[in-house]
Amino acid sequence: MAHAKESFISKYIFSFDHKMIGKQYFTLAMIMGFIGGILAVLIRLQLGFPSQPWPFLENLFPVGMASGIMTPEFYVSLFTMHGTIMVFFLLSLLPVSGFGNFLIPLQIGARDMAFPFLNMLSFWTVVPGAIIIIISFFVEGGAAASGWTAYPPLSAIRSAIPGSGAGQTLWLVGMIFFVASFTMGGLNFVVTILNLRTKGLRLMRMPLTTWAQFVVGILGLLSFPALAAGAILLTFDRSLGTSFFLPAGIFIGDTLMPHEGGTPLLWQHLFWFLGHPEVYIIMLPAMGFTSDVLATFCRRPIFGYRSMVYAIMAIGTLSFLVWGHHMFVSGMSPFLGSLFVVTTLAIAIPSAVKAFNWLFTIAKAKIRFTTAALFALAVVSLFVTGGLTGIFLGTNATDIQLHDTYFVVGHFHFIMAGAGLFGAFAAVYFWYPKMFGRKLNERIGKIHFWITFVAYYAVFFPMHYLGVAGMMRRIYDPNVYEYLQPLQPVNLFITISAFVLFAGQLLFLWNYFVSMRRGETATGNPWDAAGLEWSTPAKPGHGNWEGDIPEVHRWPYDYSRPDRKRDFVGQWES
Amino acid sequence: MADEPRAKEGGFQGVAMAISLWGIVLLSVFFFLRYDVPELASDRGYLDTLFYVILGITGAAYILYQVALGWVIYRFRGNRAGAASSHWHESHKLEWTWTLGTALILVPIVWTGLVHWERVKAPAPDDAVAVMAVGAQFQWDFQYPGADGEFGRFDPQLYSIENQIGLDRDDPAASDDWVLTNQLVLPVGRPARILLRSKDVQHAFFLPNFRVKQDLVPGMLTEVVFTPVKTGSYEVACAELCGLGHYRMRAFLEVMDEADYQAWLAENAPGS
Repeated sequence: MAHAKESFISKYIFSFDHKMIGKQYFTLAMIMGFIGGILAVLIRLQLGFPSQPWPFLENLFPVGMASGIMTPEFYVSLFTMHGTIMVFFLLSLLPVSGFGNFLIPLQIGARDMAFPFLNMLSFWTVVPGAIIIIISFFVEGGAAASGWTAYPPLSAIRSAIPGSGAGQTLWLVGMIFFVASFTMGGLNFVVTILNLRTKGLRLMRMPLTTWAQFVVGILGLLSFPALAAGAILLTFDRSLGTSFFLPAGIFIGDTLMPHEGGTPLLWQHLFWFLGHPEVYIIMLPAMGFTSDVLATFCRRPIFGYRSMVYAIMAIGTLSFLVWGHHMFVSGMSPFLGSLFVVTTLAIAIPSAVKAFNWLFTIAKAKIRFTTAALFALAVVSLFVTGGLTGIFLGTNATDIQLHDTYFVVGHFHFIMAGAGLFGAFAAVYFWYPKMFGRKLNERIGKIHFWITFVAYYAVFFPMHYLGVAGMMRRIYDPNVYEYLQPLQPVNLFITISAFVLFAGQLLFLWNYFVSMRRGETATGNPWDAAGLEWSTPAKPGHGNWEGDIPEVHRWPYDYSRPDRKRDFVGQWES
Repeated sequence: MADEPRAKEGGFQGVAMAISLWGIVLLSVFFFLRYDVPELASDRGYLDTLFYVILGITGAAYILYQVALGWVIYRFRGNRAGAASSHWHESHKLEWTWTLGTALILVPIVWTGLVHWERVKAPAPDDAVAVMAVGAQFQWDFQYPGADGEFGRFDPQLYSIENQIGLDRDDPAASDDWVLTNQLVLPVGRPARILLRSKDVQHAFFLPNFRVKQDLVPGMLTEVVFTPVKTGSYEVACAELCGLGHYRMRAFLEVMDEADYQAWLAENAPGS
């Protein structure tokens, strides 16, 4: 299967090789994540030092920070784009499109994805989306400024906020590119996993990472079209004068709008019908990585494999039945709200199954504390912290006070962003040798881990205090409110911690790019892991296995069998 | 298999991980105790009670789980003497225990939450003080219905600087209506029914001290019902992103005792 010779373009640009496409996604996601991180630093700069002038920043942002002071409209654009970029272009692209493409064929024993051309196309569809999103910062009025949720009428009416001009249009176009790409990817995942598994790889022998990607593929296919539909309707409302989301009587900028007959709640339903499954599109792969990494470095089978698989399916199914918990105080029928409480809190059950299974995987282990293992252990901690705070928000009665406060910001940065990000880090440190034939530097990796872990708790845990004390999200200057003024020291502490957190990620970027050329060379199976992907050569070529694809004889977690001398048995070994 | 370098991958990192998890628990709980919900000024104290109950349950789960996680990491670090890992990976008894256990803990939380929700959403009694809050970028207008107790019709065509809420003066019910900007006054001890509508984008009517939050949706009329139980001056906030001035869309709620309220009405309401 080894290809004789490939030109630079077919190898690195328009490659059909799932591994190269995976790496292209990594590069794109890291660039976007870096930009998203800078936006976060600017957000925290304003909240830590409200309206303080920073003259040197005027050179970088001549409009948004004229004379060095951040304008409110620039602040709104910052958190809008921070959310959009991080949720879609980092936390969806890296674990799902990046690792999904890279790992699925390796883990199921396939030469490539089912549709290599579609795969290449999906990457080159998301690239213009990312470019459009970045360009939107430089158009008149600045980037979109209606939150990552883009609630109309704010997002629909151009005069409602400067960002609702060209910036919002570009946001919608960028999202449609993203959805198109992600839908192609999801289709590819599902078809590949169902059809291309090697001999002996029954579904119940698949690694939990592949199980997660399989369910994620289905979630993406079913939920993203709702966002695409919503985005197209919103574009119509903005540009063609339709009124899907706009009722009669809207009066903005001394002008009565000609729309009539629509309702903003329709957008919220469409958006959150995607938005909530999207959270699990981010979470589930991280859970899969964590399980695979923990089993390897605990030298133990994952505890309760079957219940882990059922938990993934249960979470995936429930994720479609909970979107209304974002809308408890929206004016939606109170009866509907009650139904969503029941489905939402039901998710705690499969989540608890995951948390306890991990705990029992770590118990009776012989843990090797590699950087990947540390990040996976941190996922377990973050997942529990963030999951528990969800109970306050999923209960509609307590959500009334906490809704749209920093309690929510803290909650989702733990459960979704935190577990997703740390899961992705665990995965990068773990599978990097398979990607580049070299290891990441473990010493720098450990420093990166400790800065990230400690700073992450320092940034996001105190946000719960702010939320309990009543500080709203998305406000440019909390000191306008007297009752929020005593919280300024907490905001300052979070800001300083956020700077440290961001600086720590520069270490990772440096490690990632330098280790490609200078890292310690790795063997085909540097961690003594049992998953099928580790039976490939150190740096597998196009087609993955040089000879025949190995047959699978067992599950991927056969560690420390009492009847074997060596402490693992690879899936490929009989 | 070279085991020597791996042995080193156990000592310091495992101990550090355990200590940092325990440290995080200690510090996060210690600082949490220093912050509390804003002072309660309404009859919705039962929501606070539920909040504290959930805080107790989740707080206990948080502490127990993180401490246990730190302990297993410490106890089963790879370099300990006689370290060996076990192949044991299934126990239906244990798995059913934590599945059903979690479900059992959740049932009373869900039930209490739903009962409280019913109470919050109960229709206003007839003697409630009714006020219409009109949200706009970036101000609150509070329309009092006057002596007839009925809100006059509004017409978006009539929105203007002088007539912020577009009141249709041709409507007889509107004749005694009057409007306050960024200030709401309510009597203590009587249920208040605040009707909410928006002129432009979405807003949210947030009374931090009253455990009240409700979105204002253009084209819809929403409402909240609560009873102030403490006199004083409180802040009203907008909690839904509504534009560049969202952060300064602030108003005040003045809660007076009945006599002061009547005197204030007599002084301020037109024609009274």
